[in-house]
Amino acid sequence: MTEGSHTPRARMLRSRFTIALVVGALSIMVAAGALAQMSKSALIGKLEGPEVVTDPAKQPKQLKEAPQLAEMVRAGKLPPVAERVGQDPLVIKPLNEIGKYGGTWRGGFTGPADFWNGYRCCSGPDHLLFWDYTGDKVTPNIAKGYEMQDGGRTLVLHLRRGMKWSDGKPFTADDIVFWFEDIYRNKDLVPTPSAAMAINGKQGVVEKVDTYTVKFKFPEPYYMFPDMLAGSTDVGGQAWRGALGLGAYAPAHYLKQFHPKYAGQAEVDKKFKEAKFDSWVRMFLFKNDWSLNPELPVLSPWKTVTPINTATWTLERNPYSVFVDTAGNQLPYIDRVVLTLGENLEVVNLRAIAGEYDFQARHLDLAKVPVFIENQQKGGYKLYLDPGDYGGDMIIKFNLSYEADPEIAKWMNTADFRRALSLGIDRDQINETFWLGTGTPGSVVPADSNKYNPGPQYRKLWATLDVKKANEMLDKAGLAKKDGDGYRLRSDGKGRLRIEIMTLGGQFLQFTQIAEMIREQWKKIGIDLTVQEVERSLALKRTAANEQQLGAWNNDGSEHLFTFPLHVFPFEIATVASSGPLYAKWFQSAGTQGKEPPARMKELMEKFKRAYGVPEKERIELGKEVWKIAAEEVYIIGVIGMGPASMGVRVVKTNMGNIPSRQYNSPDGKTPTISRPVTFFWKK
Amino acid sequence: MATPDVALGPTSASLPGAGAPDLNKQRVFVASQWQLMWWRFCKHRVAVASALVVIGFYLVVVGADFLAYADPNASEAQRSLMPPQRVHLFDGWRFGPYVYAVKGARDLQSFKRVYRPDPSEKIPVRFFAKGFEYRFLGLIPTTRHLIGVDGGRDAAKTVFLLGTDVQGRDLWSRLMYGTRISLTIGLVGVTMSLVLGVILGGLSGFYGGIADTLIQRIIEILRSIPTIPLWMGLAAALPRDWSILQVYFAITIIISLLAWTELARVVRGRFLSLREEDFVVSARLVGCSQMRTIFVHMVPSFMSHIIAATTLALPAMIVSETALSFLGLGLRPPAMSWGVLLQQAQNVQTVAISPWLMLPAVPVIVVVMAFNFLGDGLRDAADPYGR
Amino acid sequence: MLAYIGRRALLAVFTVWAISVLSFVIIQLPPGDYVTSYIAQMASMGSVVTDEEAQNLRIQYGLGQPIYVQYLKWMRLIAQGNFGMSMEWRRPVTEVIGERFWLTVVVSVASLFLTWVLALPIGIYSAVRQYSVGDYVGTFVGFIGLAVPNFLLALVLLYLGFTLFNAHIGGLFSPELQDAPWSMARVWDLLKHLPIPALILGLAGTAQQIRIMRANLLDELRKPYVVTARSKGLTEIDLILKYPVRLALNPFASTIGYTLPYIVSGSIIVSLVLGLPTVGPLLLKALIAQDMFLAGTIVLLLGVMTVIGTLVSDILLVWVDPRIRLEET
Repeated sequence: MTEGSHTPRARMLRSRFTIALVVGALSIMVAAGALAQMSKSALIGKLEGPEVVTDPAKQPKQLKEAPQLAEMVRAGKLPPVAERVGQDPLVIKPLNEIGKYGGTWRGGFTGPADFWNGYRCCSGPDHLLFWDYTGDKVTPNIAKGYEMQDGGRTLVLHLRRGMKWSDGKPFTADDIVFWFEDIYRNKDLVPTPSAAMAINGKQGVVEKVDTYTVKFKFPEPYYMFPDMLAGSTDVGGQAWRGALGLGAYAPAHYLKQFHPKYAGQAEVDKKFKEAKFDSWVRMFLFKNDWSLNPELPVLSPWKTVTPINTATWTLERNPYSVFVDTAGNQLPYIDRVVLTLGENLEVVNLRAIAGEYDFQARHLDLAKVPVFIENQQKGGYKLYLDPGDYGGDMIIKFNLSYEADPEIAKWMNTADFRRALSLGIDRDQINETFWLGTGTPGSVVPADSNKYNPGPQYRKLWATLDVKKANEMLDKAGLAKKDGDGYRLRSDGKGRLRIEIMTLGGQFLQFTQIAEMIREQWKKIGIDLTVQEVERSLALKRTAANEQQLGAWNNDGSEHLFTFPLHVFPFEIATVASSGPLYAKWFQSAGTQGKEPPARMKELMEKFKRAYGVPEKERIELGKEVWKIAAEEVYIIGVIGMGPASMGVRVVKTNMGNIPSRQYNSPDGKTPTISRPVTFFWKK
Repeated sequence: MATPDVALGPTSASLPGAGAPDLNKQRVFVASQWQLMWWRFCKHRVAVASALVVIGFYLVVVGADFLAYADPNASEAQRSLMPPQRVHLFDGWRFGPYVYAVKGARDLQSFKRVYRPDPSEKIPVRFFAKGFEYRFLGLIPTTRHLIGVDGGRDAAKTVFLLGTDVQGRDLWSRLMYGTRISLTIGLVGVTMSLVLGVILGGLSGFYGGIADTLIQRIIEILRSIPTIPLWMGLAAALPRDWSILQVYFAITIIISLLAWTELARVVRGRFLSLREEDFVVSARLVGCSQMRTIFVHMVPSFMSHIIAATTLALPAMIVSETALSFLGLGLRPPAMSWGVLLQQAQNVQTVAISPWLMLPAVPVIVVVMAFNFLGDGLRDAADPYGR
Repeated sequence: MLAYIGRRALLAVFTVWAISVLSFVIIQLPPGDYVTSYIAQMASMGSVVTDEEAQNLRIQYGLGQPIYVQYLKWMRLIAQGNFGMSMEWRRPVTEVIGERFWLTVVVSVASLFLTWVLALPIGIYSAVRQYSVGDYVGTFVGFIGLAVPNFLLALVLLYLGFTLFNAHIGGLFSPELQDAPWSMARVWDLLKHLPIPALILGLAGTAQQIRIMRANLLDELRKPYVVTARSKGLTEIDLILKYPVRLALNPFASTIGYTLPYIVSGSIIVSLVLGLPTVGPLLLKALIAQDMFLAGTIVLLLGVMTVIGTLVSDILLVWVDPRIRLEET
């Protein structure tokens, strides 16, 4: 540097130059970041999975079984495998290769409330129908086939001949009828009928045709019903819903002994008192609980041996499993699943990092991905990321039916206010900080590949960062006056406009921290946001009481719009955040209670309801319309979508076979069940 | 002034007649109680050092805004998880502290954010630089901070002494504000314990009898309860929709509910032993009211013990606050306290990849130790005729 | 002497009762009850719990009745040895707590033991070499234990254990022996896993003990008999250990009284971080889920444990030091 460089002017020029350089560097960094995002990482693979083979011609001729089962057959303790599986096995073509028998699959769970863990890994699927690995198509599962008849009013299900429960007793249409007549219709066991068994509020009935054929009959066309059977709904199988007296079927031969109609009230009363239950209803539902009762006959490939309310949840192979591979091997390959209790999430994650789990996709924290990667070799595993297909790994709901403060209520109901707030969020910042850049900033609409996606232009609709436009919109809407600190003033003259967002702590996502970041960002558009972290039960209470203004949550499941509408529009009241609890009441009570929603929301609800009763093509159009309205009205702000934060961080030991490089991450698909874990095996 | 040797007391080995009349010893005999305490205290070097440390920390409390140079809430994803920057003190031969500009990006292989200093750009660090606006002492609006860089109002280009957290917020600045909250919670809580302890301990010791038994039993019951479950229960009962400020005060109340027992014990002990002292008896005989006896005559004589006990109670408050924050039951973001900062560092990725986020543990350790040494020193000094 | 023990025992019983009331009240404090938490869980699974169902559940779990009725119900059950059902675990509370309680005791006792092992020598040394460098270092070490946030330390040690020693993460047993019945192998396994939790917990209590040991020993050392013994020609070590230390140990016994609640509390935090199968993590979950009987029983048990500990230490103290007996009368 020359002598003159120390004069004040030179110093100023130099510092200006420095500033320019730094700014330039920063812009390059940002651009590099954007580029990096486009070439997403090697951790996200290609969507793949095993297929269910439905062509009877392709059925394997000869069936084989696991060595220890073969041993038992020789000893006369078990019937031969052909008898156990029946004439119509559920044939699955493994993803990569025919596997080998043996081994234990270790995982971790966090306590008796973590039943999703078991459903997701080991329940089968045991739905009557289920999704294929793309999450798009409904394929046969426990039922070998189905038809819609009578203009969509009747669903005929064909069951598998010779199929057995895990205790060897036959699984027939009687089990479905028993469930319908004696459990579902019993007001003590199921006090409120399920909306899944109803179309336009009218309940359907179950009719037996013959031993292996059953009809679900509805008073109006219900084309959606197969989807309901496939999804995680009230008719989605015994493992998922048996404990509530739902699920669409139940082991009649086992449960009859606990039912007053068959065993007599006196007998049942004696039983429940002896077993220290509070009532026969509690006992009955306990006995039908897949995660709690080791004696319960099941259809899933593994059955609970030591229940979820102990320190280790163990599941072992079901010798009567109806699943086989294309070579005729009775599945599952893996003998046992052992889930160990880890009450602290850091401990669970650290165990996964240390390689103490063989396949774990639940409770793993996206923020720890660098540590996982660092320890892949040491732990002997590979890290995968499975982004979801739903548009909102994080969403913010406006409560349009809010009443406590008329000024706030007015703004909740002003579309431009909502849109402006959405434009004020710097999604790239949030994506980089909390999703490590793996999410997709955008609106609430699901992935482009999803059949209900209304079009690629809706991704960015009202979902970019445009502080200038946001400020303009807010000014025009009537909030142009600001106070000394730059915050907008209420239009009713009562001072600063303050809105409140409710977040939950301790979730898969750091909602509170993200909300704080948004609070800083909204300072630039003059909005004063208060962040309120609450407990789950308090959140439920406040939402139900219509006290919430803004609520943060995620809309996983919304990629299956019709089976998981909870976070798309006000579908029901019992939720941690809602875009209008009073409207949900109106919706659920068919207009008799609650408050009538604004016109466009009503339109959305009508289209939604209609979709259940129309054939697929029309339904898809209606679904697209629903998303269109949601994206345009911004009842819910989509922040980051299609991210792997919610159960999308997966570690799998390198010597496990038939592992997909990417799975369809969805609660409806009970991921990883959608990848048919029955086909996972240990390569030696 | 040479500190007279106050270890010499009437029972010392040196005989009065030996040597020349000792001026120091004269001073000892006429010195007031507080002076004796002070001299005694100064002998204990570590305690003196600790006192200076404590004073230093409370100066931080007052000047937190000044010492912080970045807005503690200013987040920036591109600065997320920056390690502490090295400040070069000498630019060539001149004293001109500067840092290198830092470029960072996410490494897609390791998924870590990797930062590299760019040797071609030096950003000079200035003293008394302009930064974000605040009110000094809550009154004077100003933008001057202890250090900063040119154009420091744009938080993107500050120096980062202790690195940044997940949201890209400067840790040093957050630590400054955290110090303020943590140390004041301590004060508020201790004051409450003090009041409760003196009143209840006093009642117990002075009146004796039933009051004493009752209060003693209560103290014993409270001390038998493991504190954490009690706090967990109480804190779980706090409505989660209370504002940060409300939670703050509720937490201090909860913590002091159990802390007063220790002070009460000390006070009671003192009252019990003083009750029979001649000067108390004579005060009563002369006709002083009970209030006067207690407050004018008795309390000053064990003031020193109270001070010592109080000083020892403070670190417990601070540690309790961190424990409660860890449990998720104490202060929560956006409040910034040591407990909150530590809670945000309480995860595997911090220990493995961003360990600088654990630095808030250092002031906790230093302050707790300082208070303990200080309290020890005060306690030793409080009994000037002891050893 | 017997009268004294009798009085203390009576007080202990009363304290336990007070704790039971206190713990029950605390559990009831948070708004809502177990059913609200249950509804929350169901909602998170996308499932609805109707008002009617919730009402039924409330009746079934007896949540509709006033608090004192619920408390009396609980007390009656306890008298019968039945601590109620945990709503979350759907098993009797005794089964859920089961082994965990004893493990909590083991961990607490181990830390107590470690505390003494550390504090005793340091305290003695500090007293004997007062104001020396060693004295300061000793007290410094003691205070460090007090000052370091133990949850952070636990996490760091957990991580280091894994990276440096490939140690199994957390817990008190290796996975194979987790559910196995008791055997020598299992005991040895437990002992292998104990040092880290005991160390973290013990460090915190050490400072206090060092101070007390030091103060007591200092008091003793000034006494005339020490001067006498020294002048008689006893070696320094004999001198110190024979009388002063033994006398200074007496109040040590009383320290169990207040160290135990402290250690039990600390063990909860450390258990949470290290994922130990003790009572701590169970309690936290129970409080959040408002699992009334479980949370109440745990707090009660912890309280009882500390009260018994205090009682034992009081008795020990009185048995050993006649001055206390006189003070009480």
